[in-house]
Amino acid sequence: MSVSPGSRQTLAHGLAVCATAAMAILLLDAATHVLLAQTPFGGPRPSAEPQVGGIVGWLLSKQSEFYREMSSTIRAAKSDGSAVWTLLGISFAYGIFHAAGPGHGKAVISSYLVANQETARRGIVLSFASALMQSLVAVVIVGICAWLLNATAKTMCGAEKAIEIVSYALIAAFGARLVWTKGGGFIRALQAPRPVPAMAFAAAGHHDHAGHGHDHHDHGHAHVQEHAHVVHGDHEHRHDDHGHDHGHVHDEHCGHSHGPAPSELAGPGGWQRGLGAILAVGIRPCSGAILVLVFALAQGLFWAGIAATFVMGLGTAITVATIAVVAVSAKDLARRLSGTKEGGGALFMRGVEFGAAGLVLLFGVGLLFGYLAAERVTCF
Amino acid sequence: MRCLLGLLWLAGALAFGANTAQAHPHVWITATSELIYAPDGAITGVRHAWTFDDMFSTYALQGIETKTKGVYSREELGSLAQTNVESLKEFGFFTFARADGKKEKFQEPTDYYLEYKDAALTLHFILPLKTPVKPKELAVEVFDPAFFIDFKFADKNPVKLVGAPATCQMKFQRPNDGTANAQKLGEQNFLSGENSNFGMMFANKITVECP
Repeated sequence: MSVSPGSRQTLAHGLAVCATAAMAILLLDAATHVLLAQTPFGGPRPSAEPQVGGIVGWLLSKQSEFYREMSSTIRAAKSDGSAVWTLLGISFAYGIFHAAGPGHGKAVISSYLVANQETARRGIVLSFASALMQSLVAVVIVGICAWLLNATAKTMCGAEKAIEIVSYALIAAFGARLVWTKGGGFIRALQAPRPVPAMAFAAAGHHDHAGHGHDHHDHGHAHVQEHAHVVHGDHEHRHDDHGHDHGHVHDEHCGHSHGPAPSELAGPGGWQRGLGAILAVGIRPCSGAILVLVFALAQGLFWAGIAATFVMGLGTAITVATIAVVAVSAKDLARRLSGTKEGGGALFMRGVEFGAAGLVLLFGVGLLFGYLAAERVTCF
Repeated sequence: MRCLLGLLWLAGALAFGANTAQAHPHVWITATSELIYAPDGAITGVRHAWTFDDMFSTYALQGIETKTKGVYSREELGSLAQTNVESLKEFGFFTFARADGKKEKFQEPTDYYLEYKDAALTLHFILPLKTPVKPKELAVEVFDPAFFIDFKFADKNPVKLVGAPATCQMKFQRPNDGTANAQKLGEQNFLSGENSNFGMMFANKITVECP
């Protein structure tokens, strides 16, 4: 409390500007890359010297390897049942590598977690749930289109494309909603007289709580949370109780003393919005899974294809969950660091959340209008 | 502070960076191409024969009706071939031509058909140039910029000139597998835009010089 509020504010402002700039650059960068890569019809720029290597090149070559092995393994499984185990192993490895490569899912989930005051545990749950849903959708598409209706690849691909548009629209809508709520919080943080939150932090002992208090008053989020709890039943209630009774003890035990109170675990919007994330991301199946499923079906080993798809999803979930945990930890660290700056800290965190919400919206809009490329649907 | 920015960077790079790298290939094509010349020495177009890998071939054949199981006649594959060339249009047929540095455009494909042999589909089509050209240097590249499709030219007779003037010299360059440049690419320049046309490093380049 000896440092003048002015210098603290400057520091916090600096931090916020830094982070915002970093995020903007990252996004712009990603967008330009994709944009450039997506305009092949004007022809490539001959001056660019192509290179690949490093982590990306390695990931790609590994993925390719695993993916290519799948078709021969499925063929082998026709005569040799034990090849199914090999298939599952390859699928798992492929899933892990695949999620580390391209894909909008992990970007959307990570942004959502950062925007929405989420915990790492919840990030893991979301990652697994969305990957499971992706696998399910792939199996359902191939099951209905190819197995039941014996539709052509063209029809199936039409279905895939329609689902893809729905998925992108959902992400955009989801992002818009996040921006709407987070924008409110950010603007209030901007308007809030600085010394007041500073006192609140001192009183409450953890700033996070204070920041949330504002949200609750303004939005009536409590109601939404309650609703979500009802939907999700016992599990959440247990957490709630635990939180109210032992919140601080728990904090000391786990060493994350600045963690949110368990009643805030669900974040504004609660599980409902989490379901939104799962739906938005998970509804779009992976092209690779569809190919593998159709191939397995043609070999008379549809069940092996289904097993492979789910194992692939498991691998994907592990990678996405890891990335989500990194994103959440980064934010926690940011919160802890900015928390010592008082006043501006809340502003900074609301800014980060607002930025992350904006990213989700931009991703949705970008994907929807084709500025960002996700994995191509196999249609030709 | 550094640690924080580092972590933020790492999270961002993990979440967004890989967008640069598009997809790994899902479809493999073994290609042979012929550059077709008119009697006056002008190049009129490219004739491609693209053989798909067995997984994609199987996928493409899903739901196609045949008289005999496992045997597909050219007629039975007709509608699929049409779907193929129509869809390929969106991707510029993955064929990019430059005559003396100037971009050349292609017309709609002609003489297209599919052939099914040894569990693999082969798509044949001719890609005529909008206007036949007689450049000193012609470059034709075949690749998928998004690297969803991995184009590999056949080991034997990958490229042929058909009816080209005797003075023309053809060079064929396979994509560099990246190992030579692996050291140059750290995560740093991966994020900073050195890699923007990702699929290009997998380009197959045909150059014809006619002095």
